[in-house]
Amino acid sequence: MLSLGQFHTRTHTCDTNVHMTPVSNNKSKGLYGNILRLLPYILALLLWAVLALRGQIFLKKVEDLSLFLFDWLYFREYIQIPGGLLGVAGSFLTQFLYLPWLGSILWVLLLLITYQLTVRVLRIPEQYRALAIIPAALLVIGNMSLGYGVFIMREQDHFFAPLLGYLAALIPISGIYRVEKVWGKMILLAIWTAVGFPLFGTFALIGTLSAACTAFTATDMLRKNRIGLFLTGVALIILIPVIIYNFYTSYRLADSWHLGLPSISEDVWTHAIRAPFQLALLFIPVMTIASRWLKESGKTLTLQTAVFVISVASVWGFWFKDENFRTELAMSEAVDRFDWQKVIDIYQKTVDSHTESDAKAYAARSKALSGVKSQEELTEILGIYDKRFFEPTRTMILYRDLALLKMNRALDEAFTMKDGGRMQKSRTQIPMALQSGKQLYLQYGLVNMSYRWCLEDVIEHNWSYSTIKYMAMHSVIMQESDFARKYLNKLEKTVFYRQWAKEQGKLAADSVLMASNEPYKSILPYMCFENRMTNDLVKSETFLMRHFSEPEPPHPSPEYDRAGLLWAMRMQDIPSFWQHLYSYLQTNNVRELPRSVQEAALLYSSLEKKSTDLPLSKAVRDSYNAFNQYVNANPVRDIRESAYPFSRKFGNTFFYFYYFIRDLQTY
Amino acid sequence: MKKIIIPLLVILIVACKPTLPSDYDTAGTVPAIFPDYTDITIPSNIAPMNFLIEEQADAYLTELTSESGQVVIKGNTVSIPKSKWARITKSQEITVRVYCRKDSKWIAYKPFKMSISDEIDPYISYRIIPVAVESYEKLTIRQRNLTNYSEKVVVSNSMIQNNAQGTCINCHYYKNWDTDNMMFHVRHYKGGTILVLDGKLHKVNMKTDSTISAGVYPSWHPTHDYIALSNNKTHQSVHAASHDKLEVIDEENDIILYNTRDNTVSVIENDSSELECFPGWSADGRTLYYVSAHYEAPFGPDRKNQIFIDREKLHFSLYSKPFDPDTRTWGAKELIYDAQAVDSSMTWPRVSPDGRWMVCCVSTHGIFPLDQIASDFVIYDLKDNSYRYADEINSRFAESYHCWSSNGKWIMFSTRREDGVHTRLYFSHIDGNGHFTKPFALPQRNPEFNREFLYAFNIPEFMKEPVHITPRQFASFISSTDATPSKYESKKGE
Repeated sequence: MLSLGQFHTRTHTCDTNVHMTPVSNNKSKGLYGNILRLLPYILALLLWAVLALRGQIFLKKVEDLSLFLFDWLYFREYIQIPGGLLGVAGSFLTQFLYLPWLGSILWVLLLLITYQLTVRVLRIPEQYRALAIIPAALLVIGNMSLGYGVFIMREQDHFFAPLLGYLAALIPISGIYRVEKVWGKMILLAIWTAVGFPLFGTFALIGTLSAACTAFTATDMLRKNRIGLFLTGVALIILIPVIIYNFYTSYRLADSWHLGLPSISEDVWTHAIRAPFQLALLFIPVMTIASRWLKESGKTLTLQTAVFVISVASVWGFWFKDENFRTELAMSEAVDRFDWQKVIDIYQKTVDSHTESDAKAYAARSKALSGVKSQEELTEILGIYDKRFFEPTRTMILYRDLALLKMNRALDEAFTMKDGGRMQKSRTQIPMALQSGKQLYLQYGLVNMSYRWCLEDVIEHNWSYSTIKYMAMHSVIMQESDFARKYLNKLEKTVFYRQWAKEQGKLAADSVLMASNEPYKSILPYMCFENRMTNDLVKSETFLMRHFSEPEPPHPSPEYDRAGLLWAMRMQDIPSFWQHLYSYLQTNNVRELPRSVQEAALLYSSLEKKSTDLPLSKAVRDSYNAFNQYVNANPVRDIRESAYPFSRKFGNTFFYFYYFIRDLQTY
Repeated sequence: MKKIIIPLLVILIVACKPTLPSDYDTAGTVPAIFPDYTDITIPSNIAPMNFLIEEQADAYLTELTSESGQVVIKGNTVSIPKSKWARITKSQEITVRVYCRKDSKWIAYKPFKMSISDEIDPYISYRIIPVAVESYEKLTIRQRNLTNYSEKVVVSNSMIQNNAQGTCINCHYYKNWDTDNMMFHVRHYKGGTILVLDGKLHKVNMKTDSTISAGVYPSWHPTHDYIALSNNKTHQSVHAASHDKLEVIDEENDIILYNTRDNTVSVIENDSSELECFPGWSADGRTLYYVSAHYEAPFGPDRKNQIFIDREKLHFSLYSKPFDPDTRTWGAKELIYDAQAVDSSMTWPRVSPDGRWMVCCVSTHGIFPLDQIASDFVIYDLKDNSYRYADEINSRFAESYHCWSSNGKWIMFSTRREDGVHTRLYFSHIDGNGHFTKPFALPQRNPEFNREFLYAFNIPEFMKEPVHITPRQFASFISSTDATPSKYESKKGE
């Protein structure tokens, strides 16, 4: 065992064998110590299992919103900014998230390497090596806490690039220990900063700072040399970015010191998103200095255990686990595959999984409400308990309705399923147009609007597999073959979309083949409307409502009229319903009206105090009578209070939808 | 040792030098190449015209011959070394012959010509822009040396805007192709019009209480210190179902005269029932051409929606208006092209430096030819105001912004002919009778560049020399300087 004095003396010689091997301490080698040593690997395995089982849909979305091409122009765009190499490398690795199990293996392996190199390069004594899990945990938090931020990340490489950047920042520290002379160390720092900054951006500067911080631990160096080394590092961090700025034209000088860190187009959120990565980076210089005071003696098992527990708890605590978010991502992925039944299944599974928790929430709320007399008190309690009930987001509803329409089941089933309008659990509401506009618009035949949102996406966040795929589909369906070729050529330069691009290439050149293949086969019937100027004002749902309320096109398809009737029912607008019902009956060969349509017709004619000659089933009439009786027996003082008990009895009727699904906020 | 190495090197060089096949079949057609550089006229000082052979074959040889030399290139990517290109472009014409080997048999395609003509201005500038709708995060104005492939940024959005506040840079323009007198606009964050006057930077705000907006589309007077600009209240919207994807419409338009000497603005045309736009000076600066559409709808919040509904009724006619630059007085406007009568719309009048020709865009309706597939060029002979469609340079897709070289021998224009969406730059030579030669694409080092590049070229302008102010100087000036408000002088500059 080495003494503290030996440790500090020997770390500053050129004997790399000694330097790169953490000092062992037999004291910590009990069973528990061995468990602690193995714990990072166990945790890594656990992380991989969680990612592969529960996180795969998020990982797939990360990949979907990224892009790596074997293409010079692509490479050129990245290297136009310092830190570009990390961007290319990060995007290269991100592509493997297409197979989430594979991508997550790579990510977890890199985290393990991070842990190992942190121990070795920062010379963390063995009994403190648990500390090295902190930066790895922060890097995990950085990505897994993103949530809806994933849709507005400016950088597409955020999953791997900060990890690679962290590793890059360790390079100069490793190097500086190998150089003995102080001027040699200074030259090394200068070379590293000048070369590293264009390649690794901020991460290189952190490396420089950390390497300069070794001056604090170099007890064998003269005081003036230590000060000189540290000040050289600081000067390089300030000067090199200023000098290098003169060779670039793609960023502001003020941004030089955080190039390569993830960002979004909102300042406050950017700070929050960057914080875990910045803390991980800060760990390097702090630990470089702190290693001087980490004594080898002493009992550290408690400390190590605490570090592990806090790290794991923090990762789990910050992990974005919102059920609606996960469901939206899963539904979105199924929409991309035109697997409409899967879209419904995912939705229903999420709804069903909350049956029990809703019942518990209702029981708890009922208890809290007992004895409530004033309206203020009622409103307050309802507000408190509101979040305990499950409610889908509008994006989920729109995906679900779309899937039902594609399977010609919407008018039978859309109003039998749970509805609602829970806002996103997000710092800023991400517009539906940005999140899913390109999918929804394309599937409803609004090709140019879908194209528009692809472009907005490109400007805000750069090209991605997703935007290129959708832009290719726009051109294929519009039979703009030259235009389609441009995007398909790009996808042919990818690992995982090559085959898809080749298949689309055939459809781009053959309108008959295109029209008989999905997704085009099921989109074309929606494209029967006449051209007009449109603007969704970044509100997809209201835009779709407006679109289907436009005057009937000259040659409507049955699909178009079914969608028109569905949207009219969603609008809860009685004249619009009758108008669209008429159109629907003209184009659809209806033997028996779908149940929800019968319910709407009965309800609306009753509200208008008119009789209807539409063929309505006895079951529908009975259900309406039962609904009215229940209303009379259970007067509603607040919709939120009564929604749950009513939904248990009438949640699958249009009556319930009309009276209880109201004042929804869309985004 | 030297005795061995030198002969070996010589053998190696000779062995590597491609030799043309002596035995081959001939094809009756020219080969398919990209960009299409077959039978074109090119400037004598243009960069090597690299192209890609698109015939399926096992091997390729391309022979470029002129009276001043011969070059043979191997492979389907024909990248011509600059020194060899300089040698063969010293004569009047280059003959290009492509040989392809298919199934061990060489085929010689019909040769095509590149005729060498007048020099072209050595620099151009353009905006690189995503084919976007509303966002504008990634804009740059760049300059390109036409004699080689060097491209540099003139000004970049991302050097100005911060994370939350975006900037848009647009409408760069030069006085008489001179970069010491240039301008462009910065919109939104740190906005203003950036003027370079005799090499010195200025930032002004041309919006006054008496005008509807800051200046937009400019035309710099050739002899005096005036810039004619349009005022626009612009909106855009998406076509729900059309190959034309966007429609850009101005709710209001006027034309103003900006005096660069005293930073004053005066109105040239602001009839409330007319939408006046796209001013363009004649070569002598004594006539201002512009376009105008008659449109009447109440001013208010509904006007914007109404004008989109009425978009196909917007027919911009061409007018001229005499001007005395010394006294700054205007004569009465004169109708040159009555667009209403022929159900079309004319935009972007730009007069050649010799004052003889004027090229305009003509489309079915509206003010923004860039987004209209139907947009084509017409050329006016200003001797008798006759015009014809310049079909030799038009394509089935949108032709839009165009400009004249300083010697008046070349026109550069943006066109979407390659894929219908991405605007690319093309050049054409004009002869004394106003006829254009077959247009050719801006040469690129990688001939597939236009296919691969996912951004569009926009607002191409010729320059006699590069912009000397650096992007950092522009960015620093824009970020640190507040725009000086322009003074409104008097109506119609009288």
